[in-house]
Amino acid sequence: MIRVPLYLAVAQWALLLALGVLVVLMYRQLGRVLSRDAKRPQLGPAAGSRAVTLPYTRAGDDHEHYFVPGDGRPALLAFVDPTCPSCEELVTVLGTAQDAGELSGLRVLLLVSDPPAYLDISAAFRATKLEIGRPSDRDALAAYRASGTPLLVAIDGAGLVRAAASVIRRAEVQAFARACLLPDPLAVLPGPPLPRASHAPAADGHLHSTEHAGESEAAR
Amino acid sequence: MDLIFLGAKAGLAVLLLVAGGAKVADLPGFTAAVALFAPSRLPRRLLRAAALALATTELALGGASLAAPSAGWLNLAVLALGCGFVAVSGAGYALHRDRSCRCFGALSQRRFDAAAIARAVVIAALAVLAAQPARAASVQLGLTARLLLLGCAAIVSVAAYTAARAIAAARDAQIGWSS
Repeated sequence: MIRVPLYLAVAQWALLLALGVLVVLMYRQLGRVLSRDAKRPQLGPAAGSRAVTLPYTRAGDDHEHYFVPGDGRPALLAFVDPTCPSCEELVTVLGTAQDAGELSGLRVLLLVSDPPAYLDISAAFRATKLEIGRPSDRDALAAYRASGTPLLVAIDGAGLVRAAASVIRRAEVQAFARACLLPDPLAVLPGPPLPRASHAPAADGHLHSTEHAGESEAAR
Repeated sequence: MDLIFLGAKAGLAVLLLVAGGAKVADLPGFTAAVALFAPSRLPRRLLRAAALALATTELALGGASLAAPSAGWLNLAVLALGCGFVAVSGAGYALHRDRSCRCFGALSQRRFDAAAIARAVVIAALAVLAAQPARAASVQLGLTARLLLLGCAAIVSVAAYTAARAIAAARDAQIGWSS
């Protein structure tokens, strides 16, 4: 009769248990991915809504700064994380576009949720000359609905959100930049006031109008 | 008692294999966690090398501990690692509370909190149990058995690596800034 050492039996059970746990983890994740579309929260603030003031601390600077939309200067806000490869792509593309003068007249602000020490692990974040900040007010941050990264938000000079989406390609960034610079449709249209429409740019840079139900994101 | 001692030993070895495999799969994330405890000016390459060294140490220690149960020095090495976990958890709780520790890469979202210290203490306690001597007959393995255990260790590590990669890829598209 073959005698199995006690350790061998114990180790086999431990290995089996570990594999079982990993299988359960994978199936749980699979279930989440399959049901994600139904539960996915909206990414970014609604186009046409008014952007809210966002306090942030600048990387390498403990003082609190404020991003104040509607001060006449259009802005691109990029919600990114150094540990997210797609975010690194977006940061690189934004830097390239900035160097090429495609973002002239725009304020570009990279917002990270990770501590400043995390910036060192990403070559793209270390190399960028763009301003990097870390939001310091959860309520203001919640208004931007940054439920995923990367998220790029285009805000015009009047403080209205013109577009918000997860983008990484240069053409998309260029379209967002153009969306920031377009005049407020309500300001240029003659006649009585119309219901506000929102605009989301496509990658080709053209604007597509969609109905917008809410007026102010901040009011929520 | 042998059952308890050997159970602790095998359990810890498998835990190290899973943790090491998951860390290798999420090396950028684990590097970020290592960076929390390193001087801010340290080059990224060094941080990444340190993270990789820690992860491979866990893998090697887990594999060796699983396949060579009679080697007493491995028990002491695992115990030292367990004490290291307690120290890191304590420092993380004091300095970086509620930041992700990436202890199991993307497999879990554990943070530096009081529960993390408790878990690390349990691991250290298990390492103390695992270091207790067991009867020689219980841990005497032939070459074939050792090789089979090493193969199983590799399978568990690869499974942990694959699971962590898949989960990280899924999360990458839905990272919760709001969470």
